[in-house]
Amino acid sequence: MSSSLDKLLENPRVWRGCDQAGCRAGLASGYPELDRYLPGGGWPPDALTEILTAHYGIGELRLLMPALAKLSTATPEQDEPGWIAWVAPPFQPYPPALRQYGIDLSRMLIVRPGDAGETLWSAEQALSSGTCAAVLLWPETLDDQASRRLQLAAEQGHSWAIAFRPLSARRQPSAAALRLELKSSGQGMHVHILKSRGGRPAVVRTRL
Amino acid sequence: MKRRACTPPALGRDVAPTPVGAQQALPLVGARRAGEPRSGLRPSPARRAPTVVPAERLWFCAWLPNLPLEAARKGDGPTAVVEEQQGVHRILLADTQALTAGVMPGQAANAALALLPTLQLEERSPLREQQALESLAGWFERFSSFVSIVGDDVLLLEIAGSLRLFGGLQALRKKMSSGLRQLGFTAAPAIAPTPLAATWLARSGRRVCIRDAANLPRAVRRLPLACLDWPSALCEALTDMGVTTVGDCLRLPREGFTRRFGAHCLLQLDRALGLLPDPRQSWRAPERFHADYEMTEEQTDRELLLNICRELLEAHERFLLVRQLGTQRLSFSFFHLRGPATELRLGCALAERSADRWFELLGIRFERLVLPAPVIAVRLQGGLTQPLQAESGRLQLRGKRGSSRRRFSITQLAERLIARIGDQSVQSATMVAEHRPHYAWRSQSLLADWSSSTRDEPPSYLRRPLWMLPEPARLSDDGGYPVHQGRRLQLVDGPERLETGWWDEDGISRDYYTAQEADGRQLWVFRNRSREPAWYLHGYFG
Repeated sequence: MSSSLDKLLENPRVWRGCDQAGCRAGLASGYPELDRYLPGGGWPPDALTEILTAHYGIGELRLLMPALAKLSTATPEQDEPGWIAWVAPPFQPYPPALRQYGIDLSRMLIVRPGDAGETLWSAEQALSSGTCAAVLLWPETLDDQASRRLQLAAEQGHSWAIAFRPLSARRQPSAAALRLELKSSGQGMHVHILKSRGGRPAVVRTRL
Repeated sequence: MKRRACTPPALGRDVAPTPVGAQQALPLVGARRAGEPRSGLRPSPARRAPTVVPAERLWFCAWLPNLPLEAARKGDGPTAVVEEQQGVHRILLADTQALTAGVMPGQAANAALALLPTLQLEERSPLREQQALESLAGWFERFSSFVSIVGDDVLLLEIAGSLRLFGGLQALRKKMSSGLRQLGFTAAPAIAPTPLAATWLARSGRRVCIRDAANLPRAVRRLPLACLDWPSALCEALTDMGVTTVGDCLRLPREGFTRRFGAHCLLQLDRALGLLPDPRQSWRAPERFHADYEMTEEQTDRELLLNICRELLEAHERFLLVRQLGTQRLSFSFFHLRGPATELRLGCALAERSADRWFELLGIRFERLVLPAPVIAVRLQGGLTQPLQAESGRLQLRGKRGSSRRRFSITQLAERLIARIGDQSVQSATMVAEHRPHYAWRSQSLLADWSSSTRDEPPSYLRRPLWMLPEPARLSDDGGYPVHQGRRLQLVDGPERLETGWWDEDGISRDYYTAQEADGRQLWVFRNRSREPAWYLHGYFG
């Protein structure tokens, strides 16, 4: 019964009222053990997520890849896949690897602004444009006010903002809906949920 | 005599069947006939010969003797154009108001001003004249698809094809001369079956209309050598020989004439008489927009400058709209009285003409633009134009989430980013089918055609890092193992040998490994095999 119902619902001529409700569930992270602790069962959509790491390259991208891959491919729910903007990445995102994770390269935008002000401006533009499904940014600094602006831009453009920051930013206040601290060990990754709007702090171990 | 040369347009006969040059043999021409070059190119069967009638051409020529004056005219008052001759500014041309007051060409500028204090003096500007001539050529395009600019002051139109549309020769001539008068140009017109003859006849100042090629030689023969635009030394030499008209020239023996004065002049004579073809190049309107806005005094008000820019952009849009074109780039120049102009360049991902879009991009850049001095003039220079790609709107059935959340498209976003942080800083990345890691991808400008990315899938069994270093970083060696940040790395996967690249002299020979640090961070390292072995870090698995 459910399969025929699903088929019916897939028909583009069927209009569903729940699309209008504006209640967006979380974006599945691809790691069920993490999703369990995130409100909405996944990454908070239309909001700012902060990821704090001691170094770049410890697995922060791999943590995001399943969700980003889903955003960059067309699904029946979204008309066309969104763009993924990389603002001020510390190294070159390597296309063959991204492709292996299922990212559509033709929908990727890499922005290398000249200074900190331009980084925030570019991210804000990308977020509020409504074209980018996700905006990854590596700001030099991100004070409370700037994070609030990013959060507002993400809400306005229905986009997912991810800011990567050093561990030293832990003590700074932030308007982000979700703050994570990542610690990698030989066995896997410890995801420390520092702040979660509508959720609770927790420590999650994932196999990464 | 003049009357006979000027054949009145025959009623009901719009296309004269007489082929060019089918008249009596000229003494000078000898064996060559007009029809021969044509038939010589492609021998046709004898029975078909009568049907081959060369298409008749008719050229309208307008010589603009007062162009320097008319291009310089600004107000209604008496005006004169001056030119510096041996250190003295002398009157080159003066309008009727000035002439009646006693101003004469050749007079010193000071003398003219003494005669007529209200006289407006304008320095002669060849550039301005050229611009006036080109704008006139653009205006003439309404009468003919073939308009050509000859020299500094002559416009040529092929009008045989336009006669029917404009209701005959007489009506067309009237339209053209009244239009020229309205635009404020005095022109000496002439009509002839060959472009060169039309030019010469116009220069002679005779308002001649020759429609029938049979009447052409007679009119051309009477022309004085002065209207031929030949070098003055040559004209003098000919005048000394007693040769003063074209007819006199034609009477000279061909071989001797060529030997003494060169083949070029003889070629011109043959072309004028229609004995040789005389191909001309059609003038084409420039497809780049260019406009200046000059202010009476220097301005610092940025709001005002923005308004001027907006006006220029609107003119730019109108220019592109009638041509159905768009442009990807344009530049503004803000001129200062002293010092170089301040330039501001704008780029756009797709060809665009909308003034609003350009203005939006301008706004982003303008707020950061530093103007070192007050601005006296603004120039807008459009970039190369291209046909506009029309986008068909898409019917949105998805309501809120589909359409209304989109504030601007990805191209608009890219344009905004490029406008502020530069073309090279906003890029997309694509894969290249190549085994060497640093050649396996390439970044491309968003202003380039971004649909051309390859769809190659990398093999899934090869592990590749998400982060790539711009250049491999040398690692120190500890007993055959790489060391990163003072700690020995553990090799967890590998080696993967990647070799060769001799075809572009950038060959590699490397063994790639996945290395792991104590804290779990995974690195992509390689050992160089070709020269002295060494460890390098090439990326992080991220």
